[in-house]
Formats: sequence, structure tokens, C-alpha cells
Amino acid sequence: MLSELKESFMEVVWAIAPLTLVVVLLQLSIIHMPLVDFVRFLIGALLVMLGFLLFLQGVKVGLLPMGEMVGAELPKRAGLPLILLTAFLLGFFVTVAEPDVRVLSHQVDLVSQGEIGKNLLIATVALGIGIFVCIAMLRIILGIPIAYLLAGSYLAVLALSFFTPPDFVPIAFDAGGVTTGPITVPFILALGIGTASVLGGRSSIADAFGLVGLASVGPVLGVMLLGIFHR
Amino acid sequence: MSELLAFLEVEEVLLEVLVALGPLVLLFAVFQIFFLRLPREYVLNLIKGLFLSFLGLVLFLQGVKVGFLPAGARMGEILGSFSQRWVLVPIGFVLGFVATIAEPAVRILSYEIEKTSGGSIRAKTILLTLAFGVAFFVALGMFRILWGIPIHYLIVPGYLVAVLMLRYTSPTFISIAFDAGGVATGPMTVTFVMALAVGVATVMENRSPILDGFGLIALVALAPILAVMGFGLLYSFRKGK
Repeated sequence: MLSELKESFMEVVWAIAPLTLVVVLLQLSIIHMPLVDFVRFLIGALLVMLGFLLFLQGVKVGLLPMGEMVGAELPKRAGLPLILLTAFLLGFFVTVAEPDVRVLSHQVDLVSQGEIGKNLLIATVALGIGIFVCIAMLRIILGIPIAYLLAGSYLAVLALSFFTPPDFVPIAFDAGGVTTGPITVPFILALGIGTASVLGGRSSIADAFGLVGLASVGPVLGVMLLGIFHR
Repeated sequence: MSELLAFLEVEEVLLEVLVALGPLVLLFAVFQIFFLRLPREYVLNLIKGLFLSFLGLVLFLQGVKVGFLPAGARMGEILGSFSQRWVLVPIGFVLGFVATIAEPAVRILSYEIEKTSGGSIRAKTILLTLAFGVAFFVALGMFRILWGIPIHYLIVPGYLVAVLMLRYTSPTFISIAFDAGGVATGPMTVTFVMALAVGVATVMENRSPILDGFGLIALVALAPILAVMGFGLLYSFRKGK
């Protein structure tokens, strides 16, 4: 236990120390930000390190096993429709709950001059994620190669990008990252790993991962479509 | 002094993390009651873990929000008004690298990859591949903003190359690559990398802080996809030899 804690501690130091060092060096050499901001940064670095340490520990004993167990239980107990329904609901509500989605909705509000309301945007993004989590689960179960799905979706994204108002393009791509917050990622990753583990016999890594990647295409397409239809 | 007390105002972050946890806890509860029926002691352990990650994330996000965000924004402003703007390209590279290393979701992904691959793909390898990929693309993104190259010129060919690479990369690395793309854009990159873009775009003429900032994040999401698939190609090439 103690050696494990020491290992995690070192991991966290290695994670945060480089960033802190770079900012300190920049501060001393060229940027000279006001002292208050710098002191706040240093206190922040301590909090971030402590938080990171607790978070990593907690995820390893909490969120990861939870996700893996639900993922492994799902195909054993439920039929296909119920699996898909669960996947859809999970994707949808995780998105609605993600704080970043609200930041995104604010930005879209700004570039659309208030024509695209907050609720419409959140619903679109959540729907996009819900549908693509379904597709991703279906892929794991049916063993469809991920390359086909990704190639198809990204070609669609590229094609749409020519019709999307230019203001929306970078925001659409950014929307892909909104559901992948630090709480969602471990759970969704573990869900895929759990599901792939009970459907044995196939290359487990290729099946286990890709859920997050596929899910992030949904909002990109969603926001692009919103941009196209709003004009 | 009063500005340091801002660290104590945690209600907002507390609520955010609590709401984000909600759907997951609910889903698990349904499964526990109807299907899993795990022993009480085991569930208590999970709850302990959940509480730890909750507490950890609140501290982490509060540190980022109160400590890092103002510093990041101030750095962006100061560097943006620099007379020799080219320094932003190397600084973007370095900040992209260290911010990715500090991203919590990136850690978890690398950890899960090492675990699932039985140690044949090391967590450190993935972490460094991602960090270098992001660093390179942030530098490219800063270059783009400074010289006014439209974001389309980078994103469209970038994703076309990604789609082409799908043909030649093994499924394992494809899955990992696209997951990594979704994971690389987190609180740390947004704080330091986006702040830099916004800072420059605010100072320069004909630049939009929002669009250039978002454009940079879109590039950061593309970087790991290309980097990990590139690594995968190299890996299978060396294995095949």
C-alpha cells in the first residue's frame, strides 16, 4: 500500500512538475505577470497535484471497476435492444451532465448571434453522442471493423465542412471533445473494455477501445448540421 | 490577499463534478440492484473510490480554475503583445507538451492501454507519443494564427490523411488513436494552450479570439490521431521485420 502510494505520488509529480517548471521559467525570464497571479498559480499547482493524486487513486478503485462490471454484465444479461437503449441513454445523459457542454453552448450562442439556443445545442450534442455510443456498442458486439465506421463518419464530416458556415467549423470540431471530461472518460473506457472482455475470441484491444473516439464524431456532425440548417 | 481567498469558493466546481457523476452512479445503481448484486463490502469499496475521485477532481478543477486560468490568460496577453511574435511557436510547442502530460484523462487512457495490452504497449510510450503530437500541432497552430493561414487548410488535409492512414494501421492502434484524440483536449490544454491563442488573437488585427482559440483546440484533437496511428505504423513495420 505504502509503496503503491509512493509510486502514484511520483507519477503525479512527474505529471505536474514539468508544467509548473515551464511557467516558473517563463515568469522569471520573459513574461513577468503580476505577483498575485503568480502566487495564485503556485497555490493552484499544489491543489492540482493533491487533486490529481486523489483522483487517480479513486478512479482506479472506483470508476474503472464500476464501468468494467457494467460493461461485462450488459451483453450477458440483456438483449440487443436493451443494450442499445442503455448505451443511448448513457451517452445522452452523460453529455447533458458534462459542464463543458455549457461552455460550448455559450460559444455557439455567440457565433450564431443568439439564434441557436442553449437547449437546442445541448440536445443536438447529446443526441449525437447517444447515437454514436449506440453505433460503437453495436460495433463491439457485431465485430464490425472500426476503420470502416471511422472512415465513413470522418468523410461525412469533411464533406459537411464545405457546406457549414466557416464560423461553425472549428466549434464543431471542438464539440467532439466536450463529453470527454475526466469523469466520463474512465467510465466509458472501462465500459468498452468490460463489454469486449466477455465477447472473447477477438483482438481485445481493438474492440475494447474506440468507444470514446467514435462517440466524439457525433457532436461534430451534430453541430455542423445545426450550422447548416440555421442559415 | 483577498484574491487568494477565491480558492475557498468551491460551490460551483463541487456542483459541476457532482452533476457529472450523477448519470454514472445512477446506471451503476440500477445494475447493482437488478443484475450485479455485488457483496456489500465490495460496493462500499467502490463508493470509497468514487468519493476519492470526486474529492480529487474538485481539488484539481478548483486549482485549475482559480490558480491556473488567470495565469494562463495573463501569459497569453503578455506573450501576444510581444514584439517578436515568432517566440510563440516554440513556446506553444513546450506548453502543448507539458499540458498534455498533466492532463488527467490522458493518464487514465495510457494506464488502461498498458493494462489491457498486458504491458506490451507501455503507458509511457503512449503518453510521450501524445505529448509530442500535441506539441507539434500547437506549434503549427500558433504558426497558422500568426501568418493568418485559414484553419481549413490544416484541418481538412489533416483528417484526409487520418482517413487514408486507417487503411494501413492495425485495428488496435486505430481504436487507441481516435480515443486519444477525444481525450487530449482537457482542462489543462484549454487553460494554457487556448489562452495563448486567445491572447494573440486579441492583440492582432483581423483575428477572432473565439475562432482562433477553438481552431487550435480542433488541431489538438487531431494531433493524437495522427501521432498514434503513425506510431502504430512504425510499430507494425518494426515487428514485421
